[in-house]
Amino acid sequence: MMQIPSLKYKTKKQPIAELKDASVYRIPLQSYRSTLQPLVKIGDQILQYQVLAEDVEHQFAAKIHSPVSGKVIAIDEHYISLENDFQQQKITTKIIESQQLDLERFVQVLKDFGIAGIGGAEFPTNIKYKVKESNVKSLLINGIECEPYLTSDYAVMRHETEKLLKTIAVLNQIFQPEEIVIGIEKQHKELKKHFEKSFKNHPNLAVRIHLLPNEYPQGGELQFIKSVTHKEIPKGSIPANFGYLVSNVGTILAIYEALFNGIPTTERVITISGNAVNTIGNYRVKIGTPIRHILKELNIDAEGVDIVLGGPMMGKEVVDLDSPIKKGSGGLLLFKKQQKSIENCIECGYCVDVCPQHLMPMQFVKGHQEDQNLLSQFNLDHCIECGACEYICPSNLPLMQSIVLGKVELQKMMYAK
Amino acid sequence: MQNKRFSPFVSSKNSIGKVMLDVIIALLPLCAFAFYTYRIWFLIVLGSALGGAILTEILFSGILLKKWRGILDGSAIITVLLLVFTISPLTPWYVAAFGGSCAVLFGKILWGGVGKNKFNPALVGREFMTVFFPLVMSSGDIWSTKRIRYVYEVEWFDFIPNAHWAEFLNELFFVPTGALGEYSAVFLLLGGIYLIFRRRISWHIPAFLLVSFLSFLWIFEDQNLNYSLGGILLGGIFMATDMPSSPSSPTGKSYYGLMIGLVAGLCIQFGAGFEYMSYSILILNGFSTKINQVFMPRTWGTKTDWPKKIEEVFLLTLSVLTVTFAVLSLHYYGYIPYLIYIYIIYIIFKFNFSFSKKLHQPI
Ligand code: SF4
Ligand code: SF4
Repeated sequence: MMQIPSLKYKTKKQPIAELKDASVYRIPLQSYRSTLQPLVKIGDQILQYQVLAEDVEHQFAAKIHSPVSGKVIAIDEHYISLENDFQQQKITTKIIESQQLDLERFVQVLKDFGIAGIGGAEFPTNIKYKVKESNVKSLLINGIECEPYLTSDYAVMRHETEKLLKTIAVLNQIFQPEEIVIGIEKQHKELKKHFEKSFKNHPNLAVRIHLLPNEYPQGGELQFIKSVTHKEIPKGSIPANFGYLVSNVGTILAIYEALFNGIPTTERVITISGNAVNTIGNYRVKIGTPIRHILKELNIDAEGVDIVLGGPMMGKEVVDLDSPIKKGSGGLLLFKKQQKSIENCIECGYCVDVCPQHLMPMQFVKGHQEDQNLLSQFNLDHCIECGACEYICPSNLPLMQSIVLGKVELQKMMYAK
Repeated sequence: MQNKRFSPFVSSKNSIGKVMLDVIIALLPLCAFAFYTYRIWFLIVLGSALGGAILTEILFSGILLKKWRGILDGSAIITVLLLVFTISPLTPWYVAAFGGSCAVLFGKILWGGVGKNKFNPALVGREFMTVFFPLVMSSGDIWSTKRIRYVYEVEWFDFIPNAHWAEFLNELFFVPTGALGEYSAVFLLLGGIYLIFRRRISWHIPAFLLVSFLSFLWIFEDQNLNYSLGGILLGGIFMATDMPSSPSSPTGKSYYGLMIGLVAGLCIQFGAGFEYMSYSILILNGFSTKINQVFMPRTWGTKTDWPKKIEEVFLLTLSVLTVTFAVLSLHYYGYIPYLIYIYIIYIIFKFNFSFSKKLHQPI
């Protein structure tokens, strides 16, 4: 693990600003590892918060709802496009009294309101929370936003503290965990005091704040669990099976909206930052907002810069400015283009030193290049694609490319067998 | 369509040049000591080795392979410095130039360039010198350097009343015997600490190497063992830690250091003479890849299969010892040159049929 400098210290002071609504929204149909099937047709009139698409077949991706009222104007395999009528006609939803919530009802709410892991992967939260109540040892709230530049979780913890605690109180009532822990990076230790002030409103809630080093990728789920509980659980396993419920603070906020306001996940907080933009800060945006709209509203000139959706370590390059903000997008980053020249690997071992999964990343480049047996021999399937290895590499080796493509090759080899 | 870009979109400010620069910085005080002691003699040796190396780089990397950029990354300078640090100030200039040139060509370029070498280039260069100029390199004369010395001892600590302590400290800082890089134990150590601090090497290799070597000496308690502290420090801190030819995981590095210390002890014990450091490091260089496999770090969330691991380590150690004794026998009968001839044939063959096709690949 390692420290990465960025502009967090600037954006974390910013409040959560609002953005003007767009006239067209593009609702993403890809989520987690699945594709949602549209439940509407072109030309349909849509109410705000109405369900637009669902993973009918597998139930392995969270439902998605309309952020505005208006009309469906196009549907393709990736997006449903909506025209905003600016009327904000809402669908009516029923709010369940929190006293009446039991696990089963709660999980149903998560499902109906499209709650998904907001930290990036968009893993459906209802699946994550499907546990036996009695088995929950720890409820772990992940406030470790280890991605450089991003402060959206920070902003949520700073400005929506009361909402988070109310939701945590409900979770406490449902799961009766032995302990509740909120993890925060040391660089944000002022949040600890801030939280402790709010604890006074919840005398029955025992929450511990755990400060962790400012290292990347401390916020990775496996790394976070280990740092707090000392339990090392292997990649690919479900934390709940070990008695840990882990949620990102953004997800907790989404649960709040569902439980207390009856609003499905249709917006989130993102950080806009990077070295190629002046209007950096935290913004509340609707899911499906085209990136073009955000750039226009903030007067950002995106000519000749690299645009990244998500964090700089694990995010994706934006090729199409009409692509939208998704549930898992924590940021929109703009970087000046930089030339990286690839040199020979000098076997410095830095990649080995920083790999949180204790792998030997340079072997994957060799494996992808010539000897595919190395991929399985050096446990490529345990890689969490955090990008730490490529960040640190002095020779700029294409480690992530080898890893991503190498995993595809690994899959093919498995099929062949 | 444009190629898909992969994350991450930020990167550290690390570069090969910066890594090399730090090593050069760590080596500079040693240069100063060598110059202080032998002045022009040191400059002649260094200059000719550097000249040989750079000429070779320009001719082979540049003109033949069209890889001009690599010439300036500093790796050749480090190779030459390390090579010069293992030889005598009386080494004739043409031998030094030959050594510098062979170190770069057979130690690096023919492997496919910086980072791809399996053996420490400086030591490869040194072996070439020994094999092709046996009379010069192993004559006793070359080490009788008294007459050209400018400084015989220092009196920096003579202000200390206790004469023993004063002498001890003086010698820790400066002893003008042996090869050009061995004069100042303190600055060898300081260079190592600097590199560890800058994370250019990790402490595992030098620490375990010293521990095992010193324990070996202690166990065998032979007063006649001929070794130099400076030589061990130079080898342990700067040679054995050469990135491409040493293992990458912490446990692998520890094992590697331990074994170099042990093999170096054996080499001294069984009469390898001045070559104990070169032999031990080169032998373990040869096992680096295997060590990386056996001592791969324990992947997150998995368990180590101890019986299997112990068996692997046992077999590995057995092979290292076998090779050591084979090399020592060859040394005893004077057959080391044939080993070098085989190496030359092997590397040229490999370059022709394999490495030259992968020049553009980064690994
Ligand atoms: S960090 Fe880069 S240069 Fe260093 S060992 Fe890893 S891949 Fe090779
Ligand atoms: S190998 Fe995978 S887990 Fe390890 S640092 Fe690289 S991306 Fe992260």
